[in-house]
Amino acid sequence: MLGLRAVARHSGFSRPATTLITPRARHIQTATVKDADIARLAAKPLHPLTLADLCKHGRPPLSEQALLNSANFTLDILPSRLAHRIQSLRSLPYIVVANPNVSKIHGNYVHSLSTLLPYAERRIETLKEEVQFTEVMADLVQTHSNTIGILARGFLEARKYITAKEVTRFLDEHLRARIGTRLIAEQHIALHFSSKPHNDLSDSEHQNPHAQESTYIGVIDTALKPADIIRRCEATVGEICELNYGVRPTVNIIGHPETEIAHIPMHLEYILTELLKNSFRATIEAGMEKEPIEITIAPAPATEEQTRLLKNKPEQAVQHTEGVITNYDQGSVDYASGSNKPDLSASANIRPLDKNTPGVTIRIRDRGGGVSPENYAKLWEYGFTTFNEDEINDKVSGGNGNSGGTALDAISGGAGGSSSLAGLGYGLPLGRAYAEYFGGGIAVQSMWGWGTDVYLSLRGVGKIG
Amino acid sequence: MLQTFQPRGLALDTLLRLPAALRVRAFATAAPSPSPTSAQSPIPPPWRPSTVLDEWVGREARPISLRQLTFFGRSLTESRLLGSANYVRLELPTRIAHRLRNMQTLPYSALTNQHISHVYELYYTAFERLRKVPEVRTMNDNDKFCDVLKMCLKEHLSVIPRLAMGILEIQDSVSGDECDRFMTTLLRSRISRRVIAEQHLALTETFHSPWHFDGKKSHMSPDDEFVGEIFLKCNAKEIIEQCAKTASELTAKAYGPDVAIPKIVLQGHLDTTFPYIPSHLEYIIGELFRNSIQAVVEQEGSAKPPPIEVLVCEAAQHVIIRVSDQGGGIDRDILPYLWSFAKGPRRKKRLQNLGQVPQLAATMQELQLPPSDPDVVGATGEKFGSPLATLSSRPPDLRIGIGLPMSRIYAEYWAGSLELHSLEGYGCDAFLQISRLGNRNEVLSTRATMDAV
Repeated sequence: MLGLRAVARHSGFSRPATTLITPRARHIQTATVKDADIARLAAKPLHPLTLADLCKHGRPPLSEQALLNSANFTLDILPSRLAHRIQSLRSLPYIVVANPNVSKIHGNYVHSLSTLLPYAERRIETLKEEVQFTEVMADLVQTHSNTIGILARGFLEARKYITAKEVTRFLDEHLRARIGTRLIAEQHIALHFSSKPHNDLSDSEHQNPHAQESTYIGVIDTALKPADIIRRCEATVGEICELNYGVRPTVNIIGHPETEIAHIPMHLEYILTELLKNSFRATIEAGMEKEPIEITIAPAPATEEQTRLLKNKPEQAVQHTEGVITNYDQGSVDYASGSNKPDLSASANIRPLDKNTPGVTIRIRDRGGGVSPENYAKLWEYGFTTFNEDEINDKVSGGNGNSGGTALDAISGGAGGSSSLAGLGYGLPLGRAYAEYFGGGIAVQSMWGWGTDVYLSLRGVGKIG
Repeated sequence: MLQTFQPRGLALDTLLRLPAALRVRAFATAAPSPSPTSAQSPIPPPWRPSTVLDEWVGREARPISLRQLTFFGRSLTESRLLGSANYVRLELPTRIAHRLRNMQTLPYSALTNQHISHVYELYYTAFERLRKVPEVRTMNDNDKFCDVLKMCLKEHLSVIPRLAMGILEIQDSVSGDECDRFMTTLLRSRISRRVIAEQHLALTETFHSPWHFDGKKSHMSPDDEFVGEIFLKCNAKEIIEQCAKTASELTAKAYGPDVAIPKIVLQGHLDTTFPYIPSHLEYIIGELFRNSIQAVVEQEGSAKPPPIEVLVCEAAQHVIIRVSDQGGGIDRDILPYLWSFAKGPRRKKRLQNLGQVPQLAATMQELQLPPSDPDVVGATGEKFGSPLATLSSRPPDLRIGIGLPMSRIYAEYWAGSLELHSLEGYGCDAFLQISRLGNRNEVLSTRATMDAV
C-alpha cells in the first residue's frame, strides 16, 4: 500500500536517485519455490510483531551494523510469513483459487517467496547485499499493493462456491497477516533510506538538513499527533462531500488535542478516513450537516512504573500480562498450517508488548441517525453479503464507482489508485484490523434514530529512551 | 459492621417452631461471628428426596411480557384475578425448582458455603410452601395465597448480597465464568418471580380497593397509568431527574459540603414515555449515576467538575439513554471484571464491603426493613419491601462491585441492553437500551439456552 515516494516523503527525504532503480530494470534473483520449501517454512511458528520490534534497531540515521541487523531481522521472519499465506490460500477450495483474480494473488505470493529463497541460510553481511535485499523488499511492496481489491473481486466472482462465513474468516486472517508483512518490509526500506551509509552515498543536494531532528523511526512517527491526522482526513473527506453533496460537515475536536503517541501515520490515516467517511455521509444524508461531528481525544495515562520499566530495561523480557496482543490480532494464526498456537521465538528481542503502555482513545460522535439494527449485525463482514445480484454483476464487470459507488468510496482505494474497494464494505473490518494490530480496537455504538458513537483505541509504544 | 444476632421482635418459641432444617441454620448463624467471611465449617443442607423436585423441574417456565402483564390487569374481573392467582401458583414453584436444581448441581464445596447454602435453604422453604398451595377457587383462597406470597417476598430480601458474597468466596472451587452464568441465571429467575408475584399482589389490591368496579375498566382509579407495578408512562426525563437528585444528595452526604458535585445535564427526546417497572429503571440509572458522580468527584477535585451528560433518544421500537461522564475512565486492571460477579484484584475489599450492607446479616428473622432515607423510596413506593432500595441507599464509598452486572441483568430482563465504553484517562459512556413496546418476552435462562452454553 505504501508507495516508495510516500515512504521517502515521510522519512523526510526526497526521492533518492542513486541506489534504487525502477521496477522495470530491477534484476532480482529468484529461485524456484518447491512444495517442500513451503512446508518447511510454514512449519515455523509465527511471531507477533510489536512496535518495539520495529524501533529496536535505533533511531535514524542508522549505523551500518544496525542496518544490517534490520535486514537480517526482516530476513528471519518474512519467508515463513509468506509461506503461511501460501498454504492458507492453497487450503481454499480449488475452484476458488482457480479464479483468475485469486490465482493472480497466489502467484504473487509465490513470486515473492521465490525472491527470498536465494537468501536462505545466508546472513546479510555487506552493504552491497543489503542494497540488493532492499530492492527485493521494494519489489514485494510493489507487487502486493493491490491485493485487497483483486482478492475482493475474485471472491465476488467465486461467491457461489464458498460461503460468506468462510470468506470472512479467511480474509480476516489474511488481511491481518498482510498488515504485518508489509510493515516489516516498508520499515526496512524506510530505515534503509534514513541510515548513515546511504545518507553519505546520496547526492548532497538531496540531503535534508533537518534529518537529524526527525521524529520518525522508519514508518513510525514517535511524535504522531492524532489531531493533525484528523484535520487532514477531515479536509480530504470534506472536499469530496462538497463535490458530491454541496455541503460539508464540520469537526469539533475536544479533550486533549495536543496528545502525541508513537504510531504509524499511514494506518491511522486509513482508519480515520474510513470512520470519517461513514460519519460524514450519515450526517449529510440525515440532513444534520449543521451539527458538528464531535471528536474526543483522550490520552491514556502511563503509570509511573511502566515508564520507568521502559526507560531502564529495554532488553529484559517484560513479564507476560493479560491483554497482550494476541496472535489473532496480527493474523499470526492460520488454520491452514495448523499454527493455532505459535510459540514465542527463542530470540530475546521479540517480546510481547506490555499491555500497560499508554495509548489514546479517540471517540467520534455524529448525529447521522445511527446504524439500523439489520445492518448492525453485518457491520464487520467484508461487504460480502450486502449486495443483491445486480450490484454484484456491476462490480464484477468492472463498474468502478458508477453504479452505487460514490466518489467517497473511491478515495478509500488509497495509494493503490485503481483499487476497486469502492463500496465493497471493507472499510470498517479493515480499519479494525489495523487498529487491533498493535493491541487497539474499534467499537461501534449505534443509537438508531439519533447517531453513532465510534470508539477507536490505539496503543502506543511508550517512551523510547 | 456486622451486628451480633439479635432476634428482632421474635421470641425463642417462634424459632423453635421452625422446621428442623431451618432451625439448624438459624442457630448456626446465630452465633456471633467476628466477620461475615470467617471460615465456618460448612454445614451441608439436609438431604431431601429428589422426586418431588424432579416433577417440577420437568415443567417449562412460561415466560411473559410486559404487555401481557398489563393487559391482564386492565379489565380486572374476579375470574381474571383467580386465573392470575393460579398462573402464579404454578409458575413460582416451577421456576424455583429449576434454580434449586441448578444449585444442587454446583460442586459440593460451593453449595456448602455458608451464604450459598443459606440461600438454598430459603429457596427450598419457599418451594415447599408454594407447591402445597391448593387450587385457588375463591377470593378467600386468593387472600390466603397472597399472604403466602408476601411472606416469601419479605424473606428473600437479603438474597442478593448473600449470593454476591457467596460467589466471591467460592472462587477456588468454581471458575469465574461459571459463577457468572450461575448468578445471572439465578438473578434473572429471581427478578421474574418477584415481578409476577408483586404484580399479582398489586392487582389483588386494586381489585379490593374502594374505587374499583368489577369488570369495568378502572376509569375512576387515580392511578390510571399504573397497572399493578407497571407504570405505563415512565417518563425518562422525570426518572432521570429523580435519580440524579438522589445520587447527588447521597454523594453530598458522604463527601461533605466542600466537595463540588457534578451537574447532570439532559438533552434529547425528553418527552419520551414507555411502559416499565419504575423500581427497575431507577435502580439501573441510579447505579450509573452513582458510578459517574463518584468517578468525577474522586478525580483531582476541581471547583467546577465537568457535568455528566445524559442523552435520551427514542426510536420506533426502543429508547436509548446514554450517560457520559469525564470521570477518568475505568482502570485497566479491573476492566476485564467489570461485568463479572467474580471480581478480580478487588475481591477481598468487595467481600468486606458486602458484609456491611445494611440489613445484610439476616436469616429469616429479617422481616421489617426500617424505612431508609425517605427520599430514596421510588415513585411507586415499594410496598413489599425493596431489595433494591437497600442497595441503592448504601453510602457511596461502600463499593460492592455488583452494580453494573446487576443493572445489566435488569436491563436485559425486558429484552433491553446495557453497554459501557471507557475512554481510559478521560471518562465513560454507558448506553442503556429499553424496548418501548413491552411486547418482548422476559429473558429467562431456559434449559435450551443453558445447554447451549
